[in-house]
Amino acid sequence: MLAAATAATRPHYAGTLHVQMASTVGSLDPADDAQRDTLAARNLFALIFDTLVALNDRGQPRPALAISWQAESGNQRWQFVLRPGVTFSDGTAMTPEVVAASLRRANPGWKVTARETSVIIQLDLPSFDLPGELALPQNSIVALPAGKVLGTGPFVVSQWDPGKKLVMAARDDYWGARPFLDSVEIEMGKNFREQTISYELGQSQVIEIPADQVHHANEARQVRASEPIELVALLFAREAQSPEEIKQRQILALSIDRDLLNRVVLQGGGEPAGGMLPDWLSGYAFLFPVKSDLTRAQQLRAQVPQAPLWNLGYDGSDPLERVLAERIVLNASDAGLRLQLAITNLADVRLVRLRLASLDAPVALSELGRSMGLPAPRFLGNSIDDLYHAENAMVQSQRVIPLLHLRTAWAVSKSVRDWEDSRDGAWRLPDVWLAPGKP
Amino acid sequence: MRFRRKLLLVFALTVFVCVAAVAWITSALARRAFEKADEQRTAALVAQFRREFDRRGEDVGRRVEAVAQGEAATRMALSLSHGPPDYAAYLDAAKILAESQQLDFLEFVEGDGTILSSAQWPARFGYKESFPVTTAPGVSFLHQEPLPDSTALSLIAVRRVAAGDSPLYVMGGRKLDKDFFASLEPPAGMKALFYQNLGPSFTPQFLITPTGAAQHWELLAPIVQQVQQRGNETTSLIHWSSSAADDEVIDAIPLAGADRQVLGILLVANSRRAYVELEQQIRSAAIASAAAGVVLAILLSGWIASRVTRPVEQLAHAAREIAAGHWNSKVNITSTDELGDLARSFDGMTRELLEQRERLVQTERVAAWRELARRLAHELKNPLFPLQLTVENLVRARQGSPQQFDEIFREGSSTLLAEIANLKAIVSRFSEFSKMPQPRFQPVQLNELVQDSVRLFQSQLSAPGRPPIACRLEVDRGLQPIAVDPELLHRALSNLILNAIEAMPKGGTLTLRTRHEGDRVVLEVSDTGSGLKPEERERLFSPYFTTKQHGTGLGLAIVQSVVSDHGGRITVRSNAGEGTTFAIELPRNGDQLQRAEAAQTTSGS
Repeated sequence: MLAAATAATRPHYAGTLHVQMASTVGSLDPADDAQRDTLAARNLFALIFDTLVALNDRGQPRPALAISWQAESGNQRWQFVLRPGVTFSDGTAMTPEVVAASLRRANPGWKVTARETSVIIQLDLPSFDLPGELALPQNSIVALPAGKVLGTGPFVVSQWDPGKKLVMAARDDYWGARPFLDSVEIEMGKNFREQTISYELGQSQVIEIPADQVHHANEARQVRASEPIELVALLFAREAQSPEEIKQRQILALSIDRDLLNRVVLQGGGEPAGGMLPDWLSGYAFLFPVKSDLTRAQQLRAQVPQAPLWNLGYDGSDPLERVLAERIVLNASDAGLRLQLAITNLADVRLVRLRLASLDAPVALSELGRSMGLPAPRFLGNSIDDLYHAENAMVQSQRVIPLLHLRTAWAVSKSVRDWEDSRDGAWRLPDVWLAPGKP
Repeated sequence: MRFRRKLLLVFALTVFVCVAAVAWITSALARRAFEKADEQRTAALVAQFRREFDRRGEDVGRRVEAVAQGEAATRMALSLSHGPPDYAAYLDAAKILAESQQLDFLEFVEGDGTILSSAQWPARFGYKESFPVTTAPGVSFLHQEPLPDSTALSLIAVRRVAAGDSPLYVMGGRKLDKDFFASLEPPAGMKALFYQNLGPSFTPQFLITPTGAAQHWELLAPIVQQVQQRGNETTSLIHWSSSAADDEVIDAIPLAGADRQVLGILLVANSRRAYVELEQQIRSAAIASAAAGVVLAILLSGWIASRVTRPVEQLAHAAREIAAGHWNSKVNITSTDELGDLARSFDGMTRELLEQRERLVQTERVAAWRELARRLAHELKNPLFPLQLTVENLVRARQGSPQQFDEIFREGSSTLLAEIANLKAIVSRFSEFSKMPQPRFQPVQLNELVQDSVRLFQSQLSAPGRPPIACRLEVDRGLQPIAVDPELLHRALSNLILNAIEAMPKGGTLTLRTRHEGDRVVLEVSDTGSGLKPEERERLFSPYFTTKQHGTGLGLAIVQSVVSDHGGRITVRSNAGEGTTFAIELPRNGDQLQRAEAAQTTSGS
């Protein structure tokens, strides 16, 4: 009896973790631009690949494949000393040449040179946050022998059906110690109903909870939610062409009741957003107004003689996006704007959901801008004021109307032990182990 | 038009009209029968539709009632009594209940019209429902349901949740789509369509059509618009293609919602294929009958015509024969009908005419002999009287002196000889007339003959002691030779020239003209004398008629005889005081000409 109790509380090496999620990943190459940057992709990449630098929950860099680094020439030349003894999943050693080649592949604009035990990165412009940037998944270190994409991560791919299923086995020679799990099996493209059934039947231990179901799921399951980490925003296809169009965009921003969207449509699964970054990350998000002001919107509307019909595009496969888009159309109609739903990327304005790429706020803001096709934010320094001004400039450009920040949540079975919650919803599977017995 | 053709035309027309009349009457009766059948079938289908509509309405009503009496609705109604609604709690409520009750639309609506939860438009919470739920009828009704990106026609029922103090209504229904109409089973040749009247103008996308039927639905636009404008039932014929068999009679029946606004139009299409095929069969049969009738008419008319027209043709032939002088022609018709009577009458008439002609000839012959005797008496009496006087003088002189006798004898004998010569001349002329020879044709240049004749009279034209007569020739230089007897024609022309000279004792102008008129040649002799009186013109060519003191009256008769023997004719134009013109028309006598030329060639060789 004592032995059984000990076995239930002490980590042990065994078992397969079954995960189901709605998201799909079509490529296991972190540098593949065609792969959408989703939490699912990021979590999968983190199991197979490592980056030179990792970020802790506060967004501060910590060593990973690089054990130390230093900046020279006013943050324009960086040297990263590599961790010794690291091997790729095929057993080959991670050398500075392979690392340099991997970084050059992901960042063609960089000048990366290999030294004996380190790599030198020479930038065209100074960068305060290069370590944070190197923590991004696309900067994972990969080896490309014979067309294969190999990583140094804790797991190695044993079965891959793009967009449907991924099976990974634990690496015994992982530099950060072998994971407790023997393998991880991930099924993708499952809707919430399918996931729920599988979870209830004990066929999977981890499932993805949509933001609008967090409230309901929390009542019945062990839900592990992140901080609001996903930005929901309206993104205009082009710059405003006239003062009237700027006003129309302001009218639209004022007409949307973000609070109702969050409380009713998202069931409290997020936060109203007036800025690009969530408050927990930037600390100043409250400075961006989120309250709807229909009266002001109607006053502005009276100043615009004619408002054209805008097509509001959204992802037709996402039921949450549809309801959000429908509500936005209704709110806009109250202010006298005409929006028409359209499942197309050629819309005048699109409802987009963008994952914050990093816990490093400037990097996250830059990545958001890049994902939206907006001009790169200009940081005059690395202070919070500089960050605010850069973000405010982005919001005031009227290309984007931030609406909500959503949480990411997972229902985790009780048989899964040492599941560590992260602020950004990232998995820490190497530390996870499964309680013995039936899942 | 000949009688045979007239008869054929009458027969064919009669057959055609009869067949056309029968075909038209049959078609009209068939059309009426089909229209009546169509009306009955349409009424049956509409009744079926209404039954199905009512059945579905009752089903929707039951399901909405079940929702209204359910636990979720009760809890919702009770929570409304305790404060403002929590929309977040009800966001999916309507959707879940709609799925469980298999309803396409479901909304929970507060008494003031505020939507608590909507299955079809979840984002619409907090907004007002356009339909006044408090005044909704107890039965299901048509309703135009707004959707996020469109509008749908639905069969809706409204029920009030009987719980709590605040009124809560459940408004649910089903979409009127293909599935709704799939249960309708129209008979063969019919189909039911449904137009959702969701816009002011006709839009084919709003049309619910039978599966697999792809047609030019825009052709329905006029009838739909007519119902939209008038709001009452309308019938129209639609030509789907150039083939009449594809035509359909469309009955458009408006269906109104709770506010009596036309929300849908039931279109019942009746194919005219069966009727058109029957009509084509009737037409084909009519055409075949008409063709057979026309053939029969041709045969019948031919037979009847042969029965009727043959005697008529015989009569006509006999009439032509008689006209040609064959007085012995007869019509051999033995029938006893009217045509037989006509033929017998014709024969009787011919016999009578022949007898009258014989009598007339005898009469004329007697008259001619009398005229001859009169002329002879007159002609002979003139020389006889001097003869008598001369002989009496001689007898008287014998009693006188021998010298006186010798003198009287010489005078008397010369007188006797002169008068005897005169008598011989008279006898000779009569003899010549009786011995007019048959012409001997030979090729003659008429102009030359005219000039030769004139040349003979040249001395008389300018004889001393009498006023001169000018002679003018107006000849057609292009005249071709004609076949005539030159001696006879010369004699005739000489007679005419002599008459003309004698007609101008005070001088004048003698004109001779030649010309051709078609296949005939005309010779005219004109004088500028005193002319002829009308009664003289009438008798001018009668034998022994003369206007001269010492003429025998045979000159112009001889001329006419010569001209007649040549197959020509002579006419005279004259008015008193204006001169006289004799015109001789002669045929070219082509066959005689050829024979004469051949004879000349033979004799020449």
